[in-house]
Amino acid sequence: MAREFQRGHKAKISDLTPGTDLYVGVQIAGQGLTFDISCFGLDANEQLSDDRYFIFFNQPKSPEESIQLLGAQAGDTESFRVTLDRIPANIHKLSFTATVDGAGQMSQVGPGYIRIVAGGEEVVRYAFNGSEFTTERAVMLGDFYLKDVWRFAAVGQGFDGGLDALLKNFGGEVAEEEPAAPQPQAAAPSFAPPAQAAAPAPAPSFGAPPAPQAPQPPQPAPSFGAPPAPAPPPTPQQQMHAAPTMAAPLAPQGGTVPPPAPAPAPYGQPPQQPQFGQIPGQVPPAAPYGQQPPGQYGQQAPAPYGQQPPGMQPPGMQPPGMPQGVPQGVPQAGAGLQAALQPYKETPTGQRWTPQNQQLMRVDLTMGGTPVLARQGSMVMYQGKVDFGYKGAGFAGRIVGNATGQEMQLMRCSGRGQVFLAEDGSHLHAIELQGDGICVSAENVLAFDESLQHEVRRIEGHGIPGGALFTMQFQGTGTVIVKTHGVPVVLPVTPTTFADCNAVVAWSAASQVIISSQVRLRRNAYPGHSGETVNLQFRGAPGNFIVVQPYEV
Amino acid sequence: MNQQLAGYAPTPVTARMENHGRTMLKVAMATGQDLYARTGSMVAYEGFIQYEPNPPAVRQIASQWITGEGAPIMKCSGDGLLYLADYGADVIVINLNNDSLSVNGTNVLAFDGHLTWGVERVKGLAKFAGQGLWNVCISGTGWVAITSRGTPIVVDCGRGEDETYVDPDALVAWSPNLKVKGKRSFKASSLIGRGSGEAYQMAFSGQGIVVVQPSEDSTDRLRVRN
Repeated sequence: MAREFQRGHKAKISDLTPGTDLYVGVQIAGQGLTFDISCFGLDANEQLSDDRYFIFFNQPKSPEESIQLLGAQAGDTESFRVTLDRIPANIHKLSFTATVDGAGQMSQVGPGYIRIVAGGEEVVRYAFNGSEFTTERAVMLGDFYLKDVWRFAAVGQGFDGGLDALLKNFGGEVAEEEPAAPQPQAAAPSFAPPAQAAAPAPAPSFGAPPAPQAPQPPQPAPSFGAPPAPAPPPTPQQQMHAAPTMAAPLAPQGGTVPPPAPAPAPYGQPPQQPQFGQIPGQVPPAAPYGQQPPGQYGQQAPAPYGQQPPGMQPPGMQPPGMPQGVPQGVPQAGAGLQAALQPYKETPTGQRWTPQNQQLMRVDLTMGGTPVLARQGSMVMYQGKVDFGYKGAGFAGRIVGNATGQEMQLMRCSGRGQVFLAEDGSHLHAIELQGDGICVSAENVLAFDESLQHEVRRIEGHGIPGGALFTMQFQGTGTVIVKTHGVPVVLPVTPTTFADCNAVVAWSAASQVIISSQVRLRRNAYPGHSGETVNLQFRGAPGNFIVVQPYEV
Repeated sequence: MNQQLAGYAPTPVTARMENHGRTMLKVAMATGQDLYARTGSMVAYEGFIQYEPNPPAVRQIASQWITGEGAPIMKCSGDGLLYLADYGADVIVINLNNDSLSVNGTNVLAFDGHLTWGVERVKGLAKFAGQGLWNVCISGTGWVAITSRGTPIVVDCGRGEDETYVDPDALVAWSPNLKVKGKRSFKASSLIGRGSGEAYQMAFSGQGIVVVQPSEDSTDRLRVRN
C-alpha cells in the first residue's frame, strides 16, 4: 500500500493521495542522542524569508496554522500536520529536518523514517538508517515542494554543522554580512506585518536579536545564531515595532556577546547618549539593540575611552577634585576594587592540596584528616580552627641543626580549616607520592603530610658546605610540597648526570648519589669561598629523575 | 640589539595607572592631578615632574608615621610619565570606585592625591611585628597601586563563622570594615629559640577581603635604602 521511497525519489502528492490534510511523521532515534525535528517553510528562492514558518518546538505552528507541530505520537518521534491548500502562496517548500541536539553524529542513528499519512493510511515512507550518514549533525529528511503542484521528495542530505548550518543554508545568501543571522535580514518589510498581527499564538519574535522569549523553553533556541543571552521577560507587544527595526544586525556569533540589555529596552530607538566618553565606574546606559557600534562598552574597552576631550564628558559624573585631561580609562577588568583583585581570588577546590598560584599552597585539613607538618614560619594565613604545635625534626634533625647551624623546625598543623603556606615567594610544587620515594634537599621541604614516612639522611663529602648535605627521604602515600627558587629543571638520570649540590632540589629515591670529586668548579665569584665545590653524580635505572633549581643556596 | 629590546618599550597610555610588566607601575601624570608615592620608589620619569619629599599634607595626615628619616610618602606633580617600582615586588593596580581599602604601609606604592587617606597603627600588634605595623586607609574614587612580594591571594573573610588569621608579615591589604584583633596561636614551646613575630597573627572577622602575599618578607626596602 504505502510506497517505499529511496533517497532522491520524488512524487506528486496528488499521485500519492487525493487528500491535502496530511500527517507527516518522523521517527529517528539513536543511542544517547536527542533530536530536534523541525520544518522550514521556504520561499521560491529556498530562503527562510519569513521566520514564522520555521516550525519547531518553540514555535509549534505557523500563523494561519497550515503547519502544526503535533509532538510524538503513533510511534513517531515527531509529527506534523500539514494542510497543503492553506499554505500561503509565498511558501514554496517545506523542508523537514532533524538535528542532533548536543554531542553526536548522524552515523549513530538507528533505523528511522519519514512518512506521510493521509486519512489514517500511510501513503509514503522514506526509511533511512545511520549507515547512510557519517559525521553529519543535521539531516534534511524530506521536502514538500511546489512545482505546479505540491510534490514530496525524499532527500536524506546531511549537514555537518547542525542546525546552524541548516539555517545558513536556508538564509545564507542574504546573510553574507551577518553569516550567523539569517533571520533578521529575512524579515523584509514587505513580509513582516506588525507584531500584533503576528501573534495569535505566543509567537516568539524571531526577528528580534535577543533569544526568543519562549514561554516554554526546553532549550532557549541558541540554534538561531542569536546571542545566547538569557531570555528577557516577554516584551510587551506595544513595544514591538514593525519589521524595519527588527532587521537589526546581530553581533556575529563567536564574537563578544553584547551585554543583555534589560527587557524594556526599546527596539529601534535611536541612541540617546553617545556611546563613547564613558566615565569609569559609570554604568553604561542600556544600549538599544541594533544600534551597537563595534567595540561597545561592555566589550573590552580599548584606548579611546581614556582619551576623551574633557568637554565630552557629561558634567557631574566625575568625582570632585579629579582633574581632567589625563587618561581615566578603566582597566580591562573594569573599575572597582573587586574587579582589580579578581585575578587573585582564592581558588576553591575539593582537594586537600590546592596551589593558589605558583607561590602559595593551600591545604584543607578537613580533607583526609591527617595533620600536616610544615616548616615553621611558612604559614601566611589560615581560616578555621587550626592548632599549630611544635614538632622537632627528631634526633636526625638535631644533627642537621648542629651541622648546619640552622635546625629545621617543623610545626604540626592539625584541626579543621584551611592553611595557606608560602615562603619567600619561592615557587611551590606539590609532589604526590603513591608508594614511591623521593629525596628532597632539607632546605627545600616546605610541608608534607604526616602520613608520609620521612627520615633525614646525610650525604658527606669534602667540600660540601657545612660538611654534609642533608636530605629528607619521603616514602609512602601523601604529598610533599617542595619549594624552589625560580623555575626548576627536571632531568632524567643518565650515566652522566651531575648536579651542583647547592642547586639540586630533589631526586627520585631509587637513584644512587655519588660524590663526584673529579669534577670541580672554581667559584671565584664568591669571595671568601674555598673556590671549590662538589658535584653530585646520580646513577639509576631509566625513569629516575632529578630536580635542579636555578639558584645556588 | 634594538630589536630584542623593542619588546620592552612602553605601551600606549590608556589609563592613569598601568602595569609595565609585573613589577613596574606606569603613571600618566598631568597638572593638577597630584600623586602620592613611596619615597624612593621612582625608577624613571619622562616629562616635567616635580617631587616634594616632605609635603605638608603628609605631615598633617600622617604625622605619627614620619620618623627621623622623613615622611615615607612624597608628593609628585607635573606632566609626563612616571615609572615606579619597589625592588621587584609585584605591583597591583586598583581603580577604586567609591571603595575603601586598608593597605599595609610597606605595601603602598602610589595613590591619587585626591583620595581620602589616613594612617593608623594597627592596634595591639605593632609592638610585636618587627618595625611596627602602620596601615594606610584609602577611600574614594581613583587609583591606587599596591605591592606584593610574589603573586598575592585574595580571600573572602566572610566565609563561615571562623575568623581568618594572617601572619602580619604577609599581610598586604584588607577591607577597613573588618574587625581586627591580635591572636597568639602558637604554643609556648614553639617560641623557644624564636624571636620573630611569627607566633602572632591578626584575626579578621566580618564581611570583606584580605590580601596576602606569599612571602613573609615585610622589610621596608625603600626605607632601608634611605
